[in-house]
Amino acid sequence: MLEQAQHMQIGMQHFLLVSGMLFTLGVFGIFLNRRNVIIILMSIELILLSVNLNLVTFSAHLHDLTGQVFSMFILTVAAAEAAIGLAILVVFFRNRDSIAVEDISALKG
Amino acid sequence: MIATDLLTNYFPIVVFLVIATGLSMLMVGVSFLAAKQKPDTEKISAYECGFEAFADARMKFDVRFYLVSILFIIFDLEVAFLFPWAITLGKIGLYGFWSMMVFLGVLTVGFIYEWRKGALDWE
Amino acid sequence: MIKSFITPELMPAFPEISLAIAAMLILLFGISRKEEDYNSVSNLSMLALAAVFMTLCKFCTETATTFNGMFIADAFGAFMKALVVTGSFVSIMLAAKYVERQRIMRFEYPILILFATLGMMLMISANDLIALYMGLEMQSLPLYVLAAMQRDTVRSTEAGLKYFVLGALSSGMLLYGASLIYGYTGATGFDAISTALAGHPAGLGIIVGMVLLLSGLAFKISAVPFHMWTPDVYEGAPTSVTAFFAIAPKLAALALLTRTFMGPFGHLADQWRQVVVVISVASMVLGSVAAIGQNNIKRLLAYSSIGNMGYALVGLAAASPAGVQAIMIYAAIYMVMTIGAFAVVLMMKQKDRMVEQISDLSGLGDRQPLLALAMTIMMFSMAGIPPLAGFFGKLFIFQAAIGSGLYTLAVLGVLASVIGAYYYLRIIKVMYFETAGDDVIDKASDGRLNLLLGISSALIVLFIVFPGPLLTSAADAAQSLFK
Repeated sequence: MLEQAQHMQIGMQHFLLVSGMLFTLGVFGIFLNRRNVIIILMSIELILLSVNLNLVTFSAHLHDLTGQVFSMFILTVAAAEAAIGLAILVVFFRNRDSIAVEDISALKG
Repeated sequence: MIATDLLTNYFPIVVFLVIATGLSMLMVGVSFLAAKQKPDTEKISAYECGFEAFADARMKFDVRFYLVSILFIIFDLEVAFLFPWAITLGKIGLYGFWSMMVFLGVLTVGFIYEWRKGALDWE
Repeated sequence: MIKSFITPELMPAFPEISLAIAAMLILLFGISRKEEDYNSVSNLSMLALAAVFMTLCKFCTETATTFNGMFIADAFGAFMKALVVTGSFVSIMLAAKYVERQRIMRFEYPILILFATLGMMLMISANDLIALYMGLEMQSLPLYVLAAMQRDTVRSTEAGLKYFVLGALSSGMLLYGASLIYGYTGATGFDAISTALAGHPAGLGIIVGMVLLLSGLAFKISAVPFHMWTPDVYEGAPTSVTAFFAIAPKLAALALLTRTFMGPFGHLADQWRQVVVVISVASMVLGSVAAIGQNNIKRLLAYSSIGNMGYALVGLAAASPAGVQAIMIYAAIYMVMTIGAFAVVLMMKQKDRMVEQISDLSGLGDRQPLLALAMTIMMFSMAGIPPLAGFFGKLFIFQAAIGSGLYTLAVLGVLASVIGAYYYLRIIKVMYFETAGDDVIDKASDGRLNLLLGISSALIVLFIVFPGPLLTSAADAAQSLFK
């Protein structure tokens, strides 16, 4: 039993699995969440981080730096994106006095 | 094999954890045992520089903090590019140097914009 | 990865670099004025776009890559960039009177359009997954802000919020796909991916990555089933911004989609074709059917643009030089029709509010015969009535589909366009055969809008007489993707 545990290694597929789970969580977080827009923003970050994990895993596996460079870019763009998203959320809140997801309902059809 | 090596490498951290936990528990425990405990409402109320507390600590706070933090996120993370650049500057040469100068120039344009726009003024 | 650090050739990216510098200088100019100076900034922006347009044709004929192969300048790119730059130029022009009436005359407006245009040009020239992503975000971020430009209204800010959330989700899907493609091919450059995929069947990882990439891009061109943001965002955003959304970013995303799927994934055409066919048919059908029940002109134009993107995707499904040529012709004609339609919408107002309901158009034929005529031309063209340009756009698309043996797709496309004709014709019926209500539509007189409307009507009508320049330049440009 102990021997078996020692032989088990954390391989690439485990990282990919975690990243796939994070991605799925993020997507479901956007669609199933009915409460709060901030949670949607957090889900978006989760998706981007899962992508970063994916890229870094592949980068280590392939012994190629491109993936890490890519994830640096994603990291910074995600920051800019979050800043813009939060700013839009603030102006929305000023008009609507709410950030509940079901209150985003002025446009329908 | 590799798994055991990995654990061995982490051994010093375990030692630190044990010492840190032990020391902090010791200090809290001794002061708890040695000091006299006579709580009353004044003593356990929130301490705010000698004043009575003005309001609930969980109040809404000024939206300007929010603006500052949003601006901070952008400039903070863009600077993440400086670290790999600084480390590899010897290899990437003048081209790499000037690329970063251009990048910082673009950031400066953004900074001038937010400054002139008054986003950094508190009043 | 980057092997040498020789200073890259900057000339192929000259239009982009000059646009970036110009946009930043105009930003500094705008912020240095004591008072908000919308008009000067807007004129300077148009000047910058015109200047960039002039520099584009340096790469009409030859193909050049630079920045370690991340950036490609070729005839296809020059053609699509010319469309995008024209679209942005016209969008700033269309906005002039509207932003004044709506009191959103902030000098950031044209500058955001400039930055978005820069992003679109980078998208069109992207030859690497990283460059693709950076271009896409450079384009999207200003668009989110533009949608929420009218920041004191619920509708505009809600449009911005919706666009942001779904746009960010689509970027996430695209990125996840890109990461899988990188992992399974070991490269992010389009040329390297193409080499890695050539010659053997693709694995599951590649297919999943490719489909996610396609979904992310389908979001950006608002193809079904990733279209749900479009009607809401089009309705909520200020109309001049909606016009910009409908004109320029669609074309850039279409170009990116074409380059990506003809280039690195060209070998896998058999795999992605089924997906593109499904998306295309769904977009054409939904664009035609869902538009029928709409009462708001902006929503109607949103569904119309969903349908139009469906037709353009037929050309992509053909996966042939003829298909690419058809996409380019369709994109050009779509742009002219959209400019015309939005110019009409932006021209009408009732007292102090903008006309947005289709019923408000009733009686337009009596009171504003010229305006009604221009709208009629645009609607007939969108419906694909023969002598007008819109008919030829569809014709080339369906010819390309038949050329690649996609008979069913072509038949479904024709059927969808027949259904679609119904709602275009309904607008014409409302304009000419329904009596007006009490409110009188008065024309917001604006020389620039008149000029644009005149030019676009003339182009639509006269295309049949002078089709040559567009056809040949599109054919040449399409060839540059197949070398």
